[in-house]
Amino acid sequence: MVRKNCCGISFRKNRILTKLCGALLTAALLASTLPAFPGSLDRRAAALSQVQAAGSFPDHTYLTENNGYKLYVNEEDLSLVVEDKTTGAFLESAISYDDGKNNPIWLGAMRSAVVLTMINKNDDTKQADLLNDAVTKQITYTDNGFSAKIYWNVYQLGLTLNVSLTEDGLVANIPEDSIREDGDQYFIGTIRIYPFMGHSYLDDKEGYMLVPDGNGALIYLNDKEGRFASGFSGTIYGTDIGFEESKVETLLWDKYNTISDPNQVLAPIYGIAHVDDEMAFLGIVEDGQERAAIEVMPNGVSVDYNRAYARFVLRKLYTQPTSNNSTSGSLHIYEADRSHSDLQVRFLFLSGKDASYAGMAASYRDYLLKNGLLSKQDTSYRTRVDFLGTERQNWVLGTQAVVMTTAKDVQEILGDLNTAGVTDLLSVYKGWQSGGLYDLPLKSYDADRNIGGNSGLTNLIKKAEETGVDLYLYDNALLINPEEQNATFNVIKQVNKKRYEYKTYADVYETFYYLTPMRSAELLAKLAKSCIAKGANKLCVAGVSEKLFTFTYQSSKYTRFDSAKMYGDAIADLNAQADLDLILEQPFAYLWKDTSAFLDMPLYTSNYILEDESIPFLSMVLAGTMPMYADYVNFEANEKEFCLKMIESGCFPSFYITKADSSELIYTNSRDIYSSRYETYRDRIISYSEEYAEFAKKVTGAVITDHKILEGDIRIVTYSNNVKVYLNYSEETKTVDGKTLNAMSYLVVS
Amino acid sequence: MKKLTHQKLNRVVRALAAGFAATIAACSLAVALPGNALVADADAPYASYTVDGYGSVIATQTAYLPYRTITKIGTESLLGPTDFTLLKDGTMYVLDSGNARVVIGDENGELVGTFGEGILVSPKVMYVTPDRVTYVADREARSIFVFDKDGELIHTYTRPQEPMYGETQDFIPLKIVVNQAGTMYVICESNTNGVVEISPVEDGTFLGYFGTNSTNSSIITIIWRAVLTDAQRAKMRSNIPSTPDNMAIDDKGIIYTVTRGEGKGSLKRLNIAGVNMLDPDSYDQVPAAVAVGNHDNCFVVSQQGFIYEYNNEGQLLFVFGGKDDGQQRIGLASKAEAIQVGTDDKLYVLDSDKAQIQVFTPTEFTGYLHDALYLYSKGRYEESKEPLSKVLEMNNLFDYANMAMGKVLYKEEDYQGALHYARLSKDLEGYSDAYWEVRNLWLKKHLSAIALILIAFFICMRIVRFLDKKKQILNGPRAVLRKIGQKKLIRELNYLFTFMRHPIDGCYGIKRENRVSLLSANILLGIGIVFYVINKYFCGFLFKTVREGRYDVVQDVGLVLIALVLVVGCNYLMCTINDGEGKLKAIYCSFIYSFGPYLVMMPFLFLLSHGVTYNEEFFVSFGRFCMGVWIAVLLVVSIREINNYTMRETFKIIFLTIFTILIVCLIAFILYVLWAQVFDFIQSFVREAVYRIGS
Repeated sequence: MVRKNCCGISFRKNRILTKLCGALLTAALLASTLPAFPGSLDRRAAALSQVQAAGSFPDHTYLTENNGYKLYVNEEDLSLVVEDKTTGAFLESAISYDDGKNNPIWLGAMRSAVVLTMINKNDDTKQADLLNDAVTKQITYTDNGFSAKIYWNVYQLGLTLNVSLTEDGLVANIPEDSIREDGDQYFIGTIRIYPFMGHSYLDDKEGYMLVPDGNGALIYLNDKEGRFASGFSGTIYGTDIGFEESKVETLLWDKYNTISDPNQVLAPIYGIAHVDDEMAFLGIVEDGQERAAIEVMPNGVSVDYNRAYARFVLRKLYTQPTSNNSTSGSLHIYEADRSHSDLQVRFLFLSGKDASYAGMAASYRDYLLKNGLLSKQDTSYRTRVDFLGTERQNWVLGTQAVVMTTAKDVQEILGDLNTAGVTDLLSVYKGWQSGGLYDLPLKSYDADRNIGGNSGLTNLIKKAEETGVDLYLYDNALLINPEEQNATFNVIKQVNKKRYEYKTYADVYETFYYLTPMRSAELLAKLAKSCIAKGANKLCVAGVSEKLFTFTYQSSKYTRFDSAKMYGDAIADLNAQADLDLILEQPFAYLWKDTSAFLDMPLYTSNYILEDESIPFLSMVLAGTMPMYADYVNFEANEKEFCLKMIESGCFPSFYITKADSSELIYTNSRDIYSSRYETYRDRIISYSEEYAEFAKKVTGAVITDHKILEGDIRIVTYSNNVKVYLNYSEETKTVDGKTLNAMSYLVVS
Repeated sequence: MKKLTHQKLNRVVRALAAGFAATIAACSLAVALPGNALVADADAPYASYTVDGYGSVIATQTAYLPYRTITKIGTESLLGPTDFTLLKDGTMYVLDSGNARVVIGDENGELVGTFGEGILVSPKVMYVTPDRVTYVADREARSIFVFDKDGELIHTYTRPQEPMYGETQDFIPLKIVVNQAGTMYVICESNTNGVVEISPVEDGTFLGYFGTNSTNSSIITIIWRAVLTDAQRAKMRSNIPSTPDNMAIDDKGIIYTVTRGEGKGSLKRLNIAGVNMLDPDSYDQVPAAVAVGNHDNCFVVSQQGFIYEYNNEGQLLFVFGGKDDGQQRIGLASKAEAIQVGTDDKLYVLDSDKAQIQVFTPTEFTGYLHDALYLYSKGRYEESKEPLSKVLEMNNLFDYANMAMGKVLYKEEDYQGALHYARLSKDLEGYSDAYWEVRNLWLKKHLSAIALILIAFFICMRIVRFLDKKKQILNGPRAVLRKIGQKKLIRELNYLFTFMRHPIDGCYGIKRENRVSLLSANILLGIGIVFYVINKYFCGFLFKTVREGRYDVVQDVGLVLIALVLVVGCNYLMCTINDGEGKLKAIYCSFIYSFGPYLVMMPFLFLLSHGVTYNEEFFVSFGRFCMGVWIAVLLVVSIREINNYTMRETFKIIFLTIFTILIVCLIAFILYVLWAQVFDFIQSFVREAVYRIGS
């Protein structure tokens, strides 16, 4: 398996060789006493034979090369080997060592370039691959790769796989028009392209896999000893609420769900780094990302190989209830039409020092900038101070306003902060609209009279502009409140034609519906026009930036591709208006180009047991390019650690502020805002602003070039302007690089 | 087998490789994880809640974060561990039940030793005393094995021989704790007498039963039992108290027990006499274990992984955690079996399914709360104010902190503040006390002014009367009033007072003289409903029966109207077939007029409810009682007079009416259920047809 010339490898990094030597020594020592050693010794012996046979891949033939890499292909299963021309290190897309524990189905999946699962009646688990099934292949070689027309004769399914080696990596593509489903028995459920690219066996390689969970996480390539029954599987851009998920939930007192939703996958990426070989890849799902999942499976999950891949979904089974009573019956049916899109994964290869997650972040950033998926924004420091205007609570008939912060209050608070020296402020005004925070959707510039009406708000906006505060008006463009507005039309239904209901479990408004993307787009445009006319040219849009779904409306079905297109167009249209400044709340990657800031950047992962380390991956991608704001400091139980996390990831602090005491909100839908009073937070806003502004001054405009995790909860972040940030998350004083770090503190070294 | 060899071999290879690796410099990415413990990133996969004054959950800052997961002690893997004890110095004794042994680990998770192999058969639980004597309760061996600190077996206790133990009673120990004197408290399977108390004297002397759970008999069960024959009674589900499921002991020898399905009794704190001193406001139905904290608090973990923290009065401070339904996230449990608290307030929860111990660390927020808790419970209110304010700054809806702050302010004689916090936390007693003081102060301040106003009013009255006598200045208004009073509708409404005072004549007036009309009755009904709604939602805080912030006026009005229609309708039906003379209109009007006392007295009671505290609660409740009796008398008299019944007939009609109402409700229910079924069937049929044909 390790096929390198010993001289070419730095001894320090080559632990695998050490192990091999250890293995050989053990073998020699034990050979006389033990009759046979299947398993690990075989594997290592095989690996050794490969070391001896350096220079060739017996199962693969040379295909093409670029400046850095050579590409080899196997015609039978179309698997690839990518070799680093400088170091001789390589990544394989098919297993070359079989530990003998895998059945033919698994072997097929582990070697084939394309693996399908098919839907046959109510079964969606049957696999089709290039080894186990009768396949007709027609391979055409091109200058930089090949095109293979594949047809599964029995299942009457076909597709074309195009592989090309470009300057920065490898592109594997299945064009939409090549996908054929000729029969009426089998339909394509999911497609995986090179699912074992860069795989490794147990702990044969040293390194990790990148998991796009939260800000980012790593799974080390060590032996997991079979501890995990399942790996990471996250649908890119969140789960699809258009399909009813049947969840098994254990509720507290049979009523309350205590388990928080896992983070959504915000960017269509995954990666594997073999640190010992100094070779890594970053996988980017370029086409078909709207309906795909990233799966990262450490060894022990079904098989003993570490692998990461994208699973494209073309068709799904779903439950069609036939009565309101869930016990009365339902049908299991599959989608009549599959989703239509090219499927494309780009593998960006990294070698040498770049073969790390820092390298992956840098190459992803370059990729985004180069392809216009991200534009450089003003990243100068701002403290985010959001305000809540009004909410509603129940009253005898209907509801009654709970006024938290009027426009005048906001003006006073901003003025007070200004006097205290906090001049760099970004502020989002929530609940400014007539009817309060949850009187949704917004249609025009219509401020609640309790906060001072239109004149009061306009006045505030003018004042804010004069003092240089970026004041954004908040709009959740996704939800509609059926108790306040007519929700008969323009709301989405799930694929089973059931209206989607978003339950809040709160007292005042229990249910919201989702607007159709067309309606959201229409209302957003209308609102923007109305706001601009009144001089309010800063909008903060939420909801539509963080949800994507399949839906039906007026008997037509719309896919996630349609939703993404409509949302994308709507946001792009808004952003294109010269006099409108737009920021988005936790936007998905496809919207990054159209926001001037990233709000609510997650700082943690979802705490999956299989994740070994959390890393600020997305922050490393975006720092220096787009300003990022963390979640509100108000609700953090461990503030010190949260502060360190913000520094580590280059995120700016956010506060949610009200003039009135937050206990006023006890009978409203916002009762989860349990601490927000300005007087409580005033000093903290000031001190945070001073501290972060000081820090930001040193790194503004610079990007993160390296990130290291050292033993004992120490982390070092390096910026492109050579500023180094040392963070000590431990409870003890530590010394690193001759620098003393107090417990729970950080140090910026220029 | 093959896998085992493989693993062994791997281990050997790895050990050898480690020798080589030791000479190699650390690579750029250092792995900070020790092999046996996974340190989690600090964010929780679960929400933390506390409860508000009404017992419903309210979100709060994360109380405890997953800190690390212990899957091995040193290199020793655990197999189905079921219990463990954590000593003050961090030493951990884990009962590795699957391997029938005890594993000792030090505070860093390194192996110290194992013992019990070959002696233990099927151990379930253990207890380790502070001087490291280990008691292991073995289910199958039906014994308690005692090991000294070196792991040597020093005692074996078996079934007590004393007759008091119960002749047929088996000895299957399920849980054990030991107090400082060495007295063992043992929970035994299917022993419903309570916790078995065994003294170490003379190789085990049975001292008696302790802390028996009580049985509950509903009235219906009691009636059934009285009616049934002995044979039938024997067939009934026997009503025996449940055996506690787990227990813990604190430094003072106070025992905490948890019992599943016991409602409020699911968590008990038993004093030496076995009397429960705890009244938890929220509880779990399937508690698995209990542990005593360092701040007069205690923790309960449920089998499903929910962890509860209570203060010493049984108020729930936090509930967090949850079941891992296949999500595989750190901090969620599959089957929690035991819980321990470290001296640094870290929580250790043993999961037998996952064969691991999950450690949780308190957050800064919880730290403040614990400080406040400790100071407050020690009566150091002044000092507790600071941490309490800190807690409230971070979460000003935290119920316990609001309640405590109210009490602290009360002690500081800031009664307005105390009133505010007591109301927020729905602390009725505290509210009543604070209100008494506030009212007292107000009265003191304004008493002279009130007296002056009253005197001035009285004098004015006298002057007006005097002038009226002399110059008839009130003749004008009097004429207007008379004119208004002569209007038919006003006369009809005024009849209410006549009816209340002279119900027999009143009924005659309704029946024969047309003294009231449907319109006047409807107006009175409307006023009554308005009074009802106002009183329900806006009466004094201490007398409120609905949650603050909840309004359901449509339902209230609906219910009143439905009740009225049912009562009037059913009564009319019964009267018609029982020779009653009453017409529907007369019955309806007399019923409405019978509620006169409600209309007259309610405004006063309403005002009174705003002015009184629990000390004067009697006035309101007595007023309500009088009102109720008055209405009942009027109703009975009305039925009698309107239908010209004897008293006997009247009561017969009342019972018949009640019976008819029940029948009507039953029929309505049956019709509803049947119709729902039919509707459901048609809907399913049509929908399925549409999908089948459509696809």
